[in-house]
Amino acid sequence: MQEMFRSRSWFGGGWGRPKNPHSLEHLKYLYNVLSRNQTVSEHNRGLLVETLRSIAEILIWGDQNDSSVFDFFLEKNMLSFFLRIMRQRSGGSNYVCVQLLQTLNILFENIRNETSLYYLLSNNHVNSIIVHKFDFSDEEVMAYYISFLKTLSLKLNAHTIHFFYNEHTNDFPLYTEAIKFFNHPESMVRIAVRTLTLNVYKVEDSSMLAFIRDRTAAPYFSNIVWFIGKHIQELDNCVRNDADHQSQNRLSDLVAEHLDHLHYLNDILCLNITDLNHVLTDHLLHKLLIPLYICSLATSRRKSSIPEGVNQAVAKILSKSSSGSSDSPRLQDPTAGKVSCVVALFLLSQVFLILSHSPLVHTLAWIILKTDRSIFEKGASKLLEHFENEKKDLEDSLCDRTSSKESTSSKENLLDEPKNITDEEKEKLAKVPPSDNLGSERPFLETVYTALDCSENDYAVLFALSLLYAMANNRGVSSDIIEQVLKPKKSISSKSSTKEVKYSYNTFLVDKLLAIILLACQPSCRIRLVTLELTLKILLQLVICDGKNILSDAHQHSLETAKSQSMALLRNFYKSEEIFLDMFEHEYCDMSKGPLNVEWLCMDSAILLPPTGTPMTGIDFVKRLPCGESEKARRAIRLFFLMRNSLLTLSGEVENQLPLTNPQSCVQIDHALDLSIARYNSDLIACTVLYKDGTKMRRFLVIDIMQLILVEPDSKRLGWGVAKLVGFLQDIEVTGDKDDSRCLHITIHRPISGATTNRVPLLSAKFLFDDNIRCMAAKQRLTKGRIKARQKKMQHIARLLEIPGQSGPPSPAFTGQGLYGSRITGRSLRENRPLFGPSRVPGFAAPKRESSPGVIHKADEFRRHRDSDSPTRISKKDSTNPCQSTLSTKKESRSRDGSSSRTRSREGSPRMPRPRSEEIPMELMKKVPNSEITPKINILPRPQTPRVEPEPTAANFTPPKLENGLVPVISEETSFIGEQKSEKDIEGLDNV
Amino acid sequence: MSYAYLFKYIIIGDTGVGKSCLLLQFTDKRFQPVHDLTIGVEFGARMITIDSKQIKLQIWDTAGQEAFRSITRSYYRGAAGALLVYDITRRETFNHLTTWLDDARQHSNSNMVIMLIGNKSDLESRREVKKEEGEAFAREHGLVFMETSAKTAANVEEAFINTAKEIYEKIQEGVFDINNEANGIKIGPQHSPTNPSLPGAGGSGGSQGSACC
Repeated sequence: MQEMFRSRSWFGGGWGRPKNPHSLEHLKYLYNVLSRNQTVSEHNRGLLVETLRSIAEILIWGDQNDSSVFDFFLEKNMLSFFLRIMRQRSGGSNYVCVQLLQTLNILFENIRNETSLYYLLSNNHVNSIIVHKFDFSDEEVMAYYISFLKTLSLKLNAHTIHFFYNEHTNDFPLYTEAIKFFNHPESMVRIAVRTLTLNVYKVEDSSMLAFIRDRTAAPYFSNIVWFIGKHIQELDNCVRNDADHQSQNRLSDLVAEHLDHLHYLNDILCLNITDLNHVLTDHLLHKLLIPLYICSLATSRRKSSIPEGVNQAVAKILSKSSSGSSDSPRLQDPTAGKVSCVVALFLLSQVFLILSHSPLVHTLAWIILKTDRSIFEKGASKLLEHFENEKKDLEDSLCDRTSSKESTSSKENLLDEPKNITDEEKEKLAKVPPSDNLGSERPFLETVYTALDCSENDYAVLFALSLLYAMANNRGVSSDIIEQVLKPKKSISSKSSTKEVKYSYNTFLVDKLLAIILLACQPSCRIRLVTLELTLKILLQLVICDGKNILSDAHQHSLETAKSQSMALLRNFYKSEEIFLDMFEHEYCDMSKGPLNVEWLCMDSAILLPPTGTPMTGIDFVKRLPCGESEKARRAIRLFFLMRNSLLTLSGEVENQLPLTNPQSCVQIDHALDLSIARYNSDLIACTVLYKDGTKMRRFLVIDIMQLILVEPDSKRLGWGVAKLVGFLQDIEVTGDKDDSRCLHITIHRPISGATTNRVPLLSAKFLFDDNIRCMAAKQRLTKGRIKARQKKMQHIARLLEIPGQSGPPSPAFTGQGLYGSRITGRSLRENRPLFGPSRVPGFAAPKRESSPGVIHKADEFRRHRDSDSPTRISKKDSTNPCQSTLSTKKESRSRDGSSSRTRSREGSPRMPRPRSEEIPMELMKKVPNSEITPKINILPRPQTPRVEPEPTAANFTPPKLENGLVPVISEETSFIGEQKSEKDIEGLDNV
Repeated sequence: MSYAYLFKYIIIGDTGVGKSCLLLQFTDKRFQPVHDLTIGVEFGARMITIDSKQIKLQIWDTAGQEAFRSITRSYYRGAAGALLVYDITRRETFNHLTTWLDDARQHSNSNMVIMLIGNKSDLESRREVKKEEGEAFAREHGLVFMETSAKTAANVEEAFINTAKEIYEKIQEGVFDINNEANGIKIGPQHSPTNPSLPGAGGSGGSQGSACC
């Protein structure tokens, strides 16, 4: 098809065609062609297309290179040829029209010279082209036409607007022709129309905008509103008729389309054109949001008392709308003007998540939160009226209000709970249903509250929560109406001589939320994780004010009960099987990807269908119920994380126990390690790594506490090595070689991480050792290292879950294995026992001394006890220069639950290394002078032999930089002083 | 002009990377590359043949509409394929790829085929982004990669056609719901599964087909 043009065979020399296609002569030639072919026919249409195409090319060339080209084009009024061509209705005229439109597109898209552009637009030919009735049934013509209009709209500005909008004739064809296609079946056409309208609105020209408002806004906006209404009824139908998740695609399109509409409306509103926004807001409220969205809320639950009211209300609204604007299509069936409650809640959530135009969202929020039944029953149209009146009153009262809270309390008495009342009173208050408390019911708010009831399932709960969250976090909703309902209220009372700050919150809602949370922590409940997460999110917003937890004791207690239940639930799944640890870490990783994004949640149409348990639907795990034991375990893990996280947030604490592996504490590739220190030295095994691709590398194998490290001796510093490969011991697989007793096959799997889904092993290679004894030793250490690394983590989890025998203060009773063993019972006995084996393996004792003590509490206690009993170990340990051992102690950067560290860790950055606090009670620590050691405590390793490095006294505070530029972490012992860097601490020590 | 399928494409990437030039170069290669002429267009359509089926490509440039979230969103959703373009002579256009990709992934349907294009490969002397970097980025994010030049037309054909081939394969695999036009795929008006070779490839088709400049 393209060939015939490429050959250009039909432009024989006979036409006198100039050789240079980019020249004025060529345009003159093309002009001649057009003049001679003013009638389109079967025979010349190919020629015409090629001519029109060449004109585009030469004009753009002229625009960029030779102004005489454009002058010629204008002088000969060549655009009029275009018009003449398109007005002919002959065979194949669409074909020519398409090229003509594309030539115009190219022209307007590429013209840089402003004068040329003005000339092109000046003779009104463009407007004639715009109003020309092309054959829009041809999708090709349609696409090129709408692209042409869109291209023109991108050229609009305060100057060019006058070429398109004629003030005198009150004519704006570019806009009025385009909006005719706003509901075109082809999505790209609709998008182009929306783009064009937005490009028009943003031009700052008051008379043009007045034209838009007066002549087109009402019909255009009411059409949009009408189509959205029709569209959401389709959506509602889809939800009602699809309980089996059969038409997920269709539903997802309908939801996406609704979002498109809302985003479009928001884009218009965000242009801040007052007049336009007023008309649009009015249409949206009166014809869509109130009659359809909000009124649908009141219908679902309380059918007995509502129907007449709603029907009247809707009827009234509809009659108003149909009489109000003559141009708009009408909602055909007034009684059909309702959608199900879940859909209404879902759609309203989207409205509040996307739109932020204050006059609109504020009114809506007010109606939902404040309307009472008496007003509502008068009819939906009264809702707005009432709002306007109330607003006036409120504004008046706001003016009166200075410091006295009482003046407004009559209006905002919703569940006002001063913090200083007794718990009995609180409970009493909490039990009172809102309607009694208020004297008048709030039908819409009540529906939202009722939807929070999850006795059956959490289908509607999620939408009610989304709506509450969306309202509370919409910046267009002013705080005075959400305060006390969705946000904590702070009031300063000056009754006594001292000013007293009183906090209060919506206890009724908190009760509801706590009920959800408590239920979610029950085994085999029907609350999805996403519902719980959102509940907790809202709860935290409700009860944290000025960074303080204002939760009442009773409520706090409920929340803690829920947390204990979540722990109890997870304890049931706590198993020694490897999969549990992997799951635990995987879930943590997954959860750490970010907090719940409610806007994204409400973009997912899958939640519109009743909650399901089957993964076959493709619905995210958190958005459905667990299926099978393994998913139940996953759910329990997540539940625990969510509860733990919320309680930490509530108490203003920072998580310092999770993740189980702190990346900051690990040796990284290219780190330099001091191999002379006991931690690395004792485990150094020389080997040759044989990769599958045949490469060989001589390395030293270091088996650290959690990691396997392959080092290469550092050429610059004697006794140091550089980490060339690092893997976690927990992820290794070791097998012997049948044929060679000096060989091991080692595979290191990648750690679970949120960032990558790469499952290719980190390393899979053959390790050749000097002899079979070393090989055996390596195998043993690796295997045991793996077990130990996993056990450490499992014990850490056990402590988090408060599994008996895993926690508790260090006790002098732990004097021996026997006693220790007798204290632990049940499952933990079985799991803890192997810990004692490996610690006797030669070479393990020393690194263990420096292990992450927080990870294994008991083991540390045991070890400490043993260490203090064995002076030889101490001396070996003490030969370590603290400055050099800096890297090794990265592991210790996260302290666990030592009494001293807990308070400290809160104030410190989580990245900062923390002391091994649990080893030494605070009191003892303070007695330790800077450079002296109490042998029994055994914390400050002190070089006993002269070292090349400076003595670790003051230098402890500023550790030397490693060669690779890495600032090493201060060694664990010195970090007691150095790490905190707090003047106080140092002073405190000096004072001792 | 009838076709078996219509695929809608969008072209995304920073301004000035040559999106509209690529589009024009592909849809109307009669525009001969001239060194002192930059010329582009925002929309174009062209017929191609894959597996002896006529497939129409409609390509929509999204330039100039970034200010409006609703527009960007809708464009992504309505497309079956996307060409993500950067300029090999401007490092920052390469650095912004992640943002573009995140946006695309967030708004588009999950089946959308994305092809990474390093444009202006004719300007070798001013190259700032190595070909290997583009390849690595594509590999990491599961994209098809190609370096093109809208000026010399190098690889332009291939870029669009390979994307179409991938969409076509996905249709064959049943990944795309072709009855759902929101995916950016439309079945031709005269599409009949028994007779995929459509009429009109000859005389009348020839003159019509090339109209999609």
